[in-house]
Amino acid sequence: MDNLLIKCRDSLESIGKYTDAAKAQVKKLVMEDGKVSKQLMAREQHAAHGLAWIATYKATLTELFNWAEKLESENKFLETEQLILQFAFSEYLSQLWHGIPMSQLEYARPQDLGLKNGLLTELSTSSVKDLMLNGNEASDRLKLADILKDSFSSKNFGNLGLDETSSMIIQEFKKFVEDDVVPYAHEWHLKDELIPMEVINKMSELGIFGLTIPEEYGGLGMSKLSMCVVTEELARGYIGIGSLGTRTDISSELLLIGGTEEQKKYWLPKIASGEILPTAVFTEPNIGSDLASLKTRAVKSGDDYSITGNKTWITHGARSDLMTMLARTDPNEKGYKGLSMFLAEKERGDDDNMFPSKGMSGGEIEVLGYRGMKEYEIAFDNFKVKGSNLLGGEEGKGFKQLMETFESARIQTAARAVGVAQSSMETGMQYALDRSQFGQSIYQFPRVSSKIVSMVTEIMAARQLTYFSAREKDKGNRCDLEAGMAKLLGARVAWATADNSLQIHGGNGFALEYPISRLLCDSRILNIFEGAAEMQADVIARRLLASN
Amino acid sequence: MKILVPVKRVIDPYVNIRVKSDQTGVETDNVKMSMNPFCEIAIEEAIRLKEAGKAEEIIAISIGNQQCQETIRTALAMGADRGIHVLTDEILEPLALAKVLAKIYEEEKPGLVIMGKQAIDGDNNQTGQMFAALTDLAQGTFASKIDIEGDMAVVTREVDGGLQTIKINMPAVITTDLRLNEPRYASLPNIMKAKKKSIEQKSPADYGVDIAPRLKVLKVMEPPKRQAGIKVESVSELVDKLKNEAGVI
Repeated sequence: MDNLLIKCRDSLESIGKYTDAAKAQVKKLVMEDGKVSKQLMAREQHAAHGLAWIATYKATLTELFNWAEKLESENKFLETEQLILQFAFSEYLSQLWHGIPMSQLEYARPQDLGLKNGLLTELSTSSVKDLMLNGNEASDRLKLADILKDSFSSKNFGNLGLDETSSMIIQEFKKFVEDDVVPYAHEWHLKDELIPMEVINKMSELGIFGLTIPEEYGGLGMSKLSMCVVTEELARGYIGIGSLGTRTDISSELLLIGGTEEQKKYWLPKIASGEILPTAVFTEPNIGSDLASLKTRAVKSGDDYSITGNKTWITHGARSDLMTMLARTDPNEKGYKGLSMFLAEKERGDDDNMFPSKGMSGGEIEVLGYRGMKEYEIAFDNFKVKGSNLLGGEEGKGFKQLMETFESARIQTAARAVGVAQSSMETGMQYALDRSQFGQSIYQFPRVSSKIVSMVTEIMAARQLTYFSAREKDKGNRCDLEAGMAKLLGARVAWATADNSLQIHGGNGFALEYPISRLLCDSRILNIFEGAAEMQADVIARRLLASN
Repeated sequence: MKILVPVKRVIDPYVNIRVKSDQTGVETDNVKMSMNPFCEIAIEEAIRLKEAGKAEEIIAISIGNQQCQETIRTALAMGADRGIHVLTDEILEPLALAKVLAKIYEEEKPGLVIMGKQAIDGDNNQTGQMFAALTDLAQGTFASKIDIEGDMAVVTREVDGGLQTIKINMPAVITTDLRLNEPRYASLPNIMKAKKKSIEQKSPADYGVDIAPRLKVLKVMEPPKRQAGIKVESVSELVDKLKNEAGVI
């Protein structure tokens, strides 16, 4: 399309104005006495979450545009990247006009926000219309499909826009993933096995667990962006591999944010080297998103604590050595102020003896996907934690300490979503190229190749928003909003990609034998964990409404 | 002992090669590039010798455009100690490469030069041999196994009839075959360390080498497209077609 970058820049301005108008409209619905009303917010959830999605599209297109501009300045904005940008703008602008799928059943339409006059004046500019009406021509989509087919063997789906070091990291980790993960991942899943220790040891050697831990604590002190590219590549191999790093990332963030110097010096080098495997113990049977109301009690007796209560959805709960555990130290304080974070040591268990430590018992929760570390429910009965293992040495700080890690966890999860989506897309495309019906490869059918084109476009968009969040984090800027948006979008993209890649497989995709069946199951968790899509949209909406 | 390892930047082996429309060569602009796989094997072997205490320093050399720095950086991330980049935008022929390498050899005086038996772009399989001739060194080509015994290198070579083991004086040049080893991937700590390792930049003129091409490429063409096959009804038809159409029997 002629003047593509100019039209996109114009459209971004329009989208900005439209987002402001949408926000003003939602404010009318949910504000009372200058504040967001709890009741109104609950009643107008659809509209408020619609606003979150509109803002997410704005942020996504902005970052995709910035990616394109940077490539353009380096003379690397070629046909593949141009078409990706064009399709992304065309499709997302159409959705802004006609409805954004928050899920397959729920659309955020202008009228849902109360914009009922049918005239979105902000989005009625010539650039927006041109992109929307002419940016997604079938002939252009076939063109990208052809380019992608030609570059499939080298796995080039568009320039990622990364620096030399990040590119080298991807290149080296791709080798590890292709040699040591991809050939085995599906078998681990089907047999519901823990990822073998040899593989985890290899990950330790590659430096994965110490990636973002500062050098003074035995880590590599690398950037969040590096973490992002590593996580994406590992998750492309297997979500469980990509997620092993998440556990260390959460626990090391917690230590860095809230730990005493002594705690940092003791624990971080062990986490960085992979010597100890950490796990996060927060959720309880009746308490998920509403963490502040946790019931598990930590009672002080002498110098130490005694923990009693039930925890669930503990990933890697058996074969781990250190639990970052949230429990209530002050029973009189029912809300978040009564919670404290513990660095609770435990003995490493296995499938035969899951919880050898005294005061711990529990069992495995069988799950659809996201296996490899396994999920557990664990009961604590007078489980002992040393007083010196209270994070930061101060009670009542647990909830705040945890909240501060959410930015990183969201970025990491967005990167996992992008990696899983990439894997599904590549799997679907490989199948489409190999499978022949009616005398030709099914990739020749536009309804098949066009699905791949959409996947490649959306994956690049979600990826660039994820990279942006990571880069902001590296600069020390607040990025919880963008990180949450990246996670929200990434999870939807991952699910749509897996579902459509399975569709490309036809009946074979329904057979457990084909890896796409696993990718479908693995993708499903991304919309749920680390902030369910609805909670994520709620948090984003509240942040937007609280700002001017 | 020092080991010199030249590493060449080539089009990634998984990329579909395109011939330039003017038939002067293949398209390399905005094409994914990688280290030549045989050079990776050479770097890996040098690192293994160093790990076994047989060598102290590994120097990775690349001769070519600015981006060759990235290829050297990959070698450094795998475990080479420092790099030499001979910057030129010309595409050098094996003889010119061998001459530049011979000059570097004189300066560095390594105990071994290990290099890929060939690069997957030109498939020349000449540089190692020409280098041996220019420096008057012993050569062990197509190596599938290397042992160091005192000041001798024991090299197992993959030859047509099977394996041939030779013992050669060092310094020597050894060219690597596919089965010598499986190259490692760089770990994150080594990628970080590589950023701090030095790459010395040189030009062919610094070595006083005439790099003018001696060969003239007339034309580069795509291989002919494969024709669709046919099904035959009987053995006699097959024999007939093989005889009269394919002309192979």
